[in-house]
Amino acid sequence: MAAENVIEMLHITKEFPGIVANDDITLQLRRGEVHALLGENGAGKSTLMSVLFGLYQPEAGIIKKNGQEVRINNPNDATALGIGMVHQHFKLIDVFTVLDNIILGAETTKAGFLQKKEARAKVQALSERYGLKVDLDAKVEDITVGMQQRVEILKMLYRDNEILIFDEPTAVLTPQEIDELMATMKEFAKEGKSILFISHKLNEIMAVSDRVTVLRKGRYIGTVDTKDTDRQSLSNMMVGRSVQLEVQKAPAKPGEAVLSLRDFCVPSKAHKRNAVNGVSFDVRAGEILCIAGIDGNGQSELVYGLTGMEKSSGGTVTLCGEDISHASIRHRGRNMSHIPEDRHKHGLVLDFALEQNMVLQRYREKQFQTNGIINRGAIREYAQRLIRQYDVRSGQGPVTVARSMSGGNQQKAIIARELDREKPLVVAVQPTRGLDVGAIEYIHSQLVAERDKGRAVLLVSLELDEVMNLSDRILVMYEGEIVGEFDPKKTDIQELGLYMAGAKRMEKGGQSA
Amino acid sequence: MKEKWSALMEKEGAKTVVASLLSILIGLLMGCIIVLIVGLTNPALGAGSVWDGIRLVLGGILSTGRDAVGKLTFGFNPTNVGNMLFRATPLILTGLSVAVAFKTGLFNIGAPGQYLMGTAATLIVALSIPTASVPAPIVWLLAFLAGILAGAAWGAIPGMVKALLNINEVLACIMTNWIAANLVTWVFADSIWCNMEENGKTGYIYKTAHNGVETAKWGLDAVFPGSQVNWGIIIAIVLAVVVYVFITKTTIGYELVSCGSNRHAARYAGINDKRNIVLSMAIAGGLSGAAASLYYLSGNTEFFWSTYQSLPAVGFNGIPVALLAASNPVAIIFTGCFMSMLNISGQQLTNLTGYNEYITDVIIAAIVYLSAFSLVIKMLLTGRKKRKTAASGLDSRPAQDGRTEKGGEGA
Repeated sequence: MAAENVIEMLHITKEFPGIVANDDITLQLRRGEVHALLGENGAGKSTLMSVLFGLYQPEAGIIKKNGQEVRINNPNDATALGIGMVHQHFKLIDVFTVLDNIILGAETTKAGFLQKKEARAKVQALSERYGLKVDLDAKVEDITVGMQQRVEILKMLYRDNEILIFDEPTAVLTPQEIDELMATMKEFAKEGKSILFISHKLNEIMAVSDRVTVLRKGRYIGTVDTKDTDRQSLSNMMVGRSVQLEVQKAPAKPGEAVLSLRDFCVPSKAHKRNAVNGVSFDVRAGEILCIAGIDGNGQSELVYGLTGMEKSSGGTVTLCGEDISHASIRHRGRNMSHIPEDRHKHGLVLDFALEQNMVLQRYREKQFQTNGIINRGAIREYAQRLIRQYDVRSGQGPVTVARSMSGGNQQKAIIARELDREKPLVVAVQPTRGLDVGAIEYIHSQLVAERDKGRAVLLVSLELDEVMNLSDRILVMYEGEIVGEFDPKKTDIQELGLYMAGAKRMEKGGQSA
Repeated sequence: MKEKWSALMEKEGAKTVVASLLSILIGLLMGCIIVLIVGLTNPALGAGSVWDGIRLVLGGILSTGRDAVGKLTFGFNPTNVGNMLFRATPLILTGLSVAVAFKTGLFNIGAPGQYLMGTAATLIVALSIPTASVPAPIVWLLAFLAGILAGAAWGAIPGMVKALLNINEVLACIMTNWIAANLVTWVFADSIWCNMEENGKTGYIYKTAHNGVETAKWGLDAVFPGSQVNWGIIIAIVLAVVVYVFITKTTIGYELVSCGSNRHAARYAGINDKRNIVLSMAIAGGLSGAAASLYYLSGNTEFFWSTYQSLPAVGFNGIPVALLAASNPVAIIFTGCFMSMLNISGQQLTNLTGYNEYITDVIIAAIVYLSAFSLVIKMLLTGRKKRKTAASGLDSRPAQDGRTEKGGEGA
């Protein structure tokens, strides 16, 4: 335990109007360790990292590097100190090549001309040494998300950074890619680089980190050695109470089919083929059917086509016995609630107050308007009830601007709005993406409760843990087609992974027939 | 007091008002500087004129002319105020037109075209229906409605092009502006509505008073003697309030603003975004048409039919009126009056001093330009606020270093 501290953040306090995002937080990063930073959404992880990266100036506290106090006023200072960061949303220029992206901002020049040859040699050497396979001449827009992340990592290595920050790096990766990333991170640590790994996925933290620092609601809770702890106690530290990691549910009692798709096709915006190609399945009352698959295999388009947000190009959709293949979005909404994939783009009008968002589909109902004049009082009362019932937390209650709320509470607001509409079919697309264990536990229990009320739940998820935990039946989607149907009790993640990657497939209707 | 002030400044609305007032103030100061520079560099003007000029730029609305010894006199000038209200009428309505489109996320730069179509429809109806057989008030009403409908139809075109073909509404608006300008010229050229009787007036269309159609004054002429003001201003104010209620309190307004704030979310919720784009542009066009109707139905305003080379400035001036008011329909009543007040000040400057009449347009342009800066000023205000809290946070932070907080308060 004699390891020296490379970076020390001592008693950092950062306030924003009305909220203390970091309250006296201390974080010590040792040379050659993988240090996980764990906390719920809004716990202050990102703020702390932004302070380290020079994006925010703390009100109090100091940062030391190798024991020397340093001032980091902007990201350039951070880079000069050898601090690099892979952001959750990659900061790459889509139309540039991989090589151009890597050298951008750190170009070698001679008399004002780029010296790409040297750069290329250095990047190639790095890429071979760490097994970070990239195609240097491909444009970023054409490469997979996994490769984009490797580009981001190479960017840090190219700048000879010693302190590498990974902000939720696994959210976008397949199980196999996650394993590779973990191995790479360990490799870096072995070489003496120090890694800060921001995450709320307990499995990954247990697998890769040496120590874990836990934050909760802007406060420092503690730092523990990973080998002395376990998932349950970490999640208790993070949430401040005991959390149910496994979903508790009784066996499903499926009834009649609520939704039926037959030979359903949705055209793609990216290419000429169908994004969804001849998909048929039923979702029955009282079951959670999960569509699993790697991102970009037509799941999003399937939901767009099903909810009417995109026009389908073939096949039929039957909801509650009514053919809605060509019905309007509003018409479909009569029997369907939809928790959308992108909560900022589709789920909320971010500049509206919470109460206005709560009635996004219902403002025309009799209780909320009289002869076209909106009844503010009724909307406020309704919003207050939802806020209480679904525990949506916000600064000013119903009049809080949605933009100012944390991601978890924005999602809770959407869930409250959609589930309270009490429709026979619930379509939930990645309902827990980017959320912490507390919120995930809550949302999972709500979806199970919907199922137990006899509603049909169609869940689209990229998280295999969620798929295995929550669903009563699993369909795997690959390149726009259903390639397999599974009972979660009789399969495992490895088997699903093979189907998701397209390595195996069942004959159409093989099992369900 | 200081705390009250900073609490007030926290509010988004207060920031907007302060930003608008600041940009007006800076604009007026710019105007004064222009007057100063022009006055000092022009030997015909000199220091005395500069002082007169500055006072007129700032308070032209209160100017009552010059006294016996040639000094400027100030006081309540009912004629000026009345004329200000008269000229504010179309500005308020074109400002509303721009604001309604803004709320739906559209930039209605087509107000001049909609205004021209409104002008044409209003004048044709007002001059063509003989008041001998149809009562004048009915003709007035028909002409007013015709103006609104023509403007609405003209506004709906870029709306439809945007909704159905996804063509940028700014482009479509600019095109329809020039189509309107040429269409109107073509309709009126050598038409029966051209005034061929009065000498030298062959380029003008008859005043609507020619057919006995004019907006009622109902007492306003007694309050503001000698001015052109009529009940048009009351109609404009009522429309501003109606638009306010429409946008903030009705389900259709909710739909429009949803589309404007996040078209994707609106679509997700089942709101027909395409219909709302067309509707919003049609309402915007209707308001611009109403602006034209109320201006030309006053009875003593003349329309110069040959417009194919220029677009009416009142249409474009709706943009700064809406910007200064941050698209708040009620605030537009005041910003519209402010813009027309500048116009009156300019007129006073030309009448009472040696300044060239075009200098006033330069000053108005400076203020209009500054009005676009109100958003920047608002951002600066927010930035200053943030730095202040950051600084005070340093001082007021109590020493809490000893506190320990370990997990597990619940469980």
